[in-house]
Amino acid sequence: MSLSSLLRRSNLEALSLSQQTAQHLQKHASTGTSTIPIPLLSYPESTDIWLTYERLFLSCLRTGDDRAAFNCLEKLISRFGATNERVMGLRGLYQEAVAKDDATLERVLQEYEEVLAEDAVNTPVAKRRIALLQSLSRTTEAIDALTELLESSPTDIEAWTELAELYLSHNLFPQAVFCLEEVLLVAPNAWNIHAHLGEVLYISAMNGNENSEGKILAEATRRFCRSVELCDDYLRGYYGLKLTSDRLLSILPDDIKSTAQVTTVDNGELPMLSTAVVRRLSEQATLKLAEIIRTNNNSCDLAEITAAKDLLDRSTQRRQR
Amino acid sequence: MAGALVQSIHRDPALFYWILFPISIVMVLTGVLRHYATVLLQTAPKKQGLPALREQRSLLRGINLRSNSSAVSSTAFAARRHYLVSAYKDGTFLKDPDNRGKPAGNPMTDPAAMEGMMGMMKGNMAMMIPQTLIMGWINAFFAGFVIMKLPFPLTIRFKSMLQSGVATRDLDVRWVSSLSWYFLNLFGLQSVFIFILGNDNAANQMAQQMSQMNPGAGAGLFQPGQDPDKMFQSEAENLEVVEHEYILKGVEDRLLASIE
Repeated sequence: MSLSSLLRRSNLEALSLSQQTAQHLQKHASTGTSTIPIPLLSYPESTDIWLTYERLFLSCLRTGDDRAAFNCLEKLISRFGATNERVMGLRGLYQEAVAKDDATLERVLQEYEEVLAEDAVNTPVAKRRIALLQSLSRTTEAIDALTELLESSPTDIEAWTELAELYLSHNLFPQAVFCLEEVLLVAPNAWNIHAHLGEVLYISAMNGNENSEGKILAEATRRFCRSVELCDDYLRGYYGLKLTSDRLLSILPDDIKSTAQVTTVDNGELPMLSTAVVRRLSEQATLKLAEIIRTNNNSCDLAEITAAKDLLDRSTQRRQR
Repeated sequence: MAGALVQSIHRDPALFYWILFPISIVMVLTGVLRHYATVLLQTAPKKQGLPALREQRSLLRGINLRSNSSAVSSTAFAARRHYLVSAYKDGTFLKDPDNRGKPAGNPMTDPAAMEGMMGMMKGNMAMMIPQTLIMGWINAFFAGFVIMKLPFPLTIRFKSMLQSGVATRDLDVRWVSSLSWYFLNLFGLQSVFIFILGNDNAANQMAQQMSQMNPGAGAGLFQPGQDPDKMFQSEAENLEVVEHEYILKGVEDRLLASIE
């Protein structure tokens, strides 16, 4: 989990982190090197230091500073030994990063398979193998490996999210939805996953058949609603809400009322959204998006802001026409 | 009148240098030694095999489904429930399906459980032995000394805590005996150890006692001696009676009510 959260950092942050590496290595040069640590003379060891090394390692790799990354990795290996699972995963990551061509990557892959043949429970290496399969664009194999991993550890949300992405890239929408629902079962308040599930539903409604489009769109709208309910001013959530509700308005007949609620609730399906509610949702989403764009103080991704602006412009144009 | 009367005992300053300091230093050093002894004695936790992992995580999945069922639609929930309940009842996820229905083995004969107990024994020993030794040392050499006077008054209740080993009724509570100084050190050196050894040290015995209160809080659901099959069966029953409610029901109205 720490790995994925780190990758979400912006490029600037990663760069500034990796520029601190040399300094950090110098400062903690003595930590963990002597066999018998002497209290008070050396820094007391804490888990923070090693987590910092891991972070530095990853950001160095991202910014292309392979030499510094190698130094961090060496520190970690000398502390935890080359057979530590997590360190093995990081080492594999380094090898993948410095590999020049596909042949080298294949060799790394073979190494992973040897490790896994010896010890099937080595999750970091298993995950590296899956990522490597992906970057070698052997997605079907990656999907197979992921399902195998999830068979033995069905509460791993990182793996479920990854599997959802893979299914999505193959346009297998029901499968992707299933995976994201599994993630929600472990982390029910993850608003980004709610929004993402809404996005997947929206895409599948666009690509599906006409009959069920309204129903899927209504579900997607509700997912986005839940997402912004959990996180105020969540740009992606409002963007999706605007997108789905506009689309829903264009296909819904004008006269759907909420009377349908009573009849359809029994079989567990949610009732269709009434047109008035969808219209209000769309209006609110437009207002909110405009507000977020106006008050944006660099906390959001620039690309997302631009996309939101674009969406608002398009919708106003449509209305004027 | 009692307040005005201040007890004064003429102590040899050598008492201070030859009892108070030695006890404190010895206590700190034992703490440090104990830390390293525990680190050396520790065995790496034994890795679980794939089937054991699968067994645990599958049960966890059922628990997650039960407690977070509102996150998915009722059709999705029903499908998952159907799958999990039938798999639980058939014992699909069991580590060794052949052992189903047999009574759980004696934890004493299970090598994995034995290892865990050995680890606990070692931890206990690293705590008990130095404690006994130092206690004996203090009792043999310094029993019955009054070594210092606290600079603040205390109530009579503290007498048993501060004056163990000195059986006098009339002595002011502020006087501290050597044996009590040992106890105070034993429980009060936590911050010193954090300063010397870093945050997660094994020197402090209070922390160890805490961890013994709830062993394996995060280690796993299965305690040795518990029958996983039984746990699966009861989880299946729990799942069957869950009343499902979908969180997305009426979410649009909730949202509109909150932002409009």
